[in-house]
Amino acid sequence: MAKTFERGISSIPGYKELTENMSIQDLPLPSELIIPLRQHIGAPNRRLVSVGERVKAGQIIGDSDAAISAPVHTGLSGVVREIGSRMTQTGQMEDCVVIEVDPEQEKVKYTADDVSHLTKEEIVQRIKAAGIVGMGGAGFPTHIKITPQTKIEYLVLNGCECEPYLTCDHRLMLEYADEMIAGARILSRVLDNAKVIFGIEVNKQDAIDLLKEKLKNEERMEVVPLDVKYPQGAEKQLIYATTGRSVPPGKLPAEVAVVVQNVATAKAVADAVIYRKPLTERIVTLTGDAAVQPGNYRVFVGTTLAHLINSTGGLKPDVGKIIMGGPMTGWAQKSLEAPIVKACGGVIALTREQLAAAQEYYACVRCGKCVDHCPMALYPNYIGMYAELGKYKQAQEWGALDCFECGICAYVCPSRRPLIEFIRRSKRA
Amino acid sequence: MKMEKNFIVSTSPHLHSGDDVATAMKDVIIALMPVTLVACYFFKFNVPFLIMVCVLTAMFTEVLFCKLMHKKPQLSDCSAILTGLLVALSFSAATPWWLAAAATFIAIGFAKEFLGGLGWNRFNPALFGRVSVIIFAPWLTYLNNEFFYWRVSFPGIDTITQATPLTMLQMGLPLPNMGTFFFATQGGGIAESSAFALLLGGAYLLYKKHITWHIPVSMMATVFIGMALLGQHPVYHLLSGGLLLGAFFMATDWVTSPITKKGQIIFGVCIGIIVVIFRVLLAPTEGVAFAILIMNAFVPLIDRLTKRSKFGEQKTQAMLQSNISTETEVAVKN
Repeated sequence: MAKTFERGISSIPGYKELTENMSIQDLPLPSELIIPLRQHIGAPNRRLVSVGERVKAGQIIGDSDAAISAPVHTGLSGVVREIGSRMTQTGQMEDCVVIEVDPEQEKVKYTADDVSHLTKEEIVQRIKAAGIVGMGGAGFPTHIKITPQTKIEYLVLNGCECEPYLTCDHRLMLEYADEMIAGARILSRVLDNAKVIFGIEVNKQDAIDLLKEKLKNEERMEVVPLDVKYPQGAEKQLIYATTGRSVPPGKLPAEVAVVVQNVATAKAVADAVIYRKPLTERIVTLTGDAAVQPGNYRVFVGTTLAHLINSTGGLKPDVGKIIMGGPMTGWAQKSLEAPIVKACGGVIALTREQLAAAQEYYACVRCGKCVDHCPMALYPNYIGMYAELGKYKQAQEWGALDCFECGICAYVCPSRRPLIEFIRRSKRA
Repeated sequence: MKMEKNFIVSTSPHLHSGDDVATAMKDVIIALMPVTLVACYFFKFNVPFLIMVCVLTAMFTEVLFCKLMHKKPQLSDCSAILTGLLVALSFSAATPWWLAAAATFIAIGFAKEFLGGLGWNRFNPALFGRVSVIIFAPWLTYLNNEFFYWRVSFPGIDTITQATPLTMLQMGLPLPNMGTFFFATQGGGIAESSAFALLLGGAYLLYKKHITWHIPVSMMATVFIGMALLGQHPVYHLLSGGLLLGAFFMATDWVTSPITKKGQIIFGVCIGIIVVIFRVLLAPTEGVAFAILIMNAFVPLIDRLTKRSKFGEQKTQAMLQSNISTETEVAVKN
């Protein structure tokens, strides 16, 4: 029996069949990289390079002394052409380093270290130096997340990939299972040998089987199959499903002695600690009915959307919307100029037909669907009604601040009310 | 790239279930078709005529009030049509057409649009309209006698002499046999023609997930148990007097019922209790309509009383004591 959390929704079509069986492929070399100096939650980095400077593959280009921050590196060699404000996936302008990429790249050799003798502090230092952030979407610096003040009992590896369309984590679990397990082992060591749980939705049975086989002799590592239900991969819901523990509102998972890491982050940790390789590339699912060649691509951080799309056959003429991230929580793009960042797992091209239905919205009819499905047990109906009237204080009383914007309420609303937008407004007020 | 300019930009989520209000309303209308057809069989043209009058009045009133209030009429959501249909079905087939039209006018004009339109109404519009004409009945009869000589009636049936089963029960008249009563019976309101047809419609709404079992089941169970305890015939009470129409089609109205499942059960049970009291102590008919309207007024209170706690809010204490091992607690304290 697969485990799960309370409420949520299992009727969203997965659309995974477009890419779930497609092996990870390399993209042709991009001519430029636009690397945002801040790709994490926390303090911005200062640039470590200047215009005209030559950079090597793997070189650090931005860093900060602030505690909550993560450095950024370039994955390709070239010349810094510009440093300035550029559009990013969220629609916000960020300082970026623009690198003109050398057409001939020298292959960088990373050799495996023996890590058995490393101390906890040394491991954390390597993770920090590699610029690793949560790759599931949040982008929180990993070295902070794995050094809580309290004792941790469980390290939960998030392989749910509950957002429709996305398959990058699925492919990573199949093709980089050993690296991911090695990363999990390292993370568990840092957390004083916390028990490791891989939480994977049962629509990835091949990944579940593979990991179960690989972990059959591991006493402190376990695979927990989970129901296909959105948002199964949300941190608090995943913790509840795998350990039965409920993280109180406004608290972090460490409160219940749990740390959650995305499976791609675990793989990046292995690269960082064993090979001292910085985080400069990730797997991105390019998908959607308007994508000519859907697939899972290995993409250098800083590669523009335009390069990713154009080098894979482009877009079909009836394209209506380009989303970075998942379709439930991602950002619609005005243009193709935004670069892929460390936390971006998907680029989804939807057709106009799929969007045709979206238009005006109506008054709440109190059907209660949003209340039935809200994974945080909030009242999106009341939050929306109050926010619409500008009464943000009441909106917060009905739980606006505890919402993590999974998008279910707006997904199910028969009046098509923009509830997530209302909730964001209430949070800002 | 040229096509860039055409990308649609909107906030997340970028997918939608496809559910909309119009689909739900249409499904409720479909669910009411079986009982409408049975009624047409019994009462012939009176039924389609009354429905036509009510639906047209509903649409006309909606447009009129929206114009008066400077709003855009939303006939496309089908809620006005549904309200018209429900009003028509709640009357007996012999009802004068203008009385039904008046009830519909009150339902849409005052109970719905005047309060802000669909979503803002506190009372079920169809029931509000229906009950209003009962309350204003003496006055309306006067109006009728003085002004309305023109009547429309269809030959071939004599609807006036039919007593409703509840009245028969009250007066100790011989009751129709249970089978007839369940599948098709002539008497009372149009929607009381067939309990079976109503159940069929209710099952359709449950299947389509527009309603859940909580309100209908708690309401019917309360009436059943209440009547059994009082020594009355529970099944007859269940199958007559608009109880099924009320349980599946009126009390379950999204706008005027509680949000949470717990609240819905409280709501259903309270309606059931009021129906029992009404039928036993007051009048043999209309108990369901009054009970639902009374409870409609308590929905905000029920919602407040049944407000649930957020995820992780209540379990915190218990969990910290049980789930996390002592070792961790010591570590936390240190």
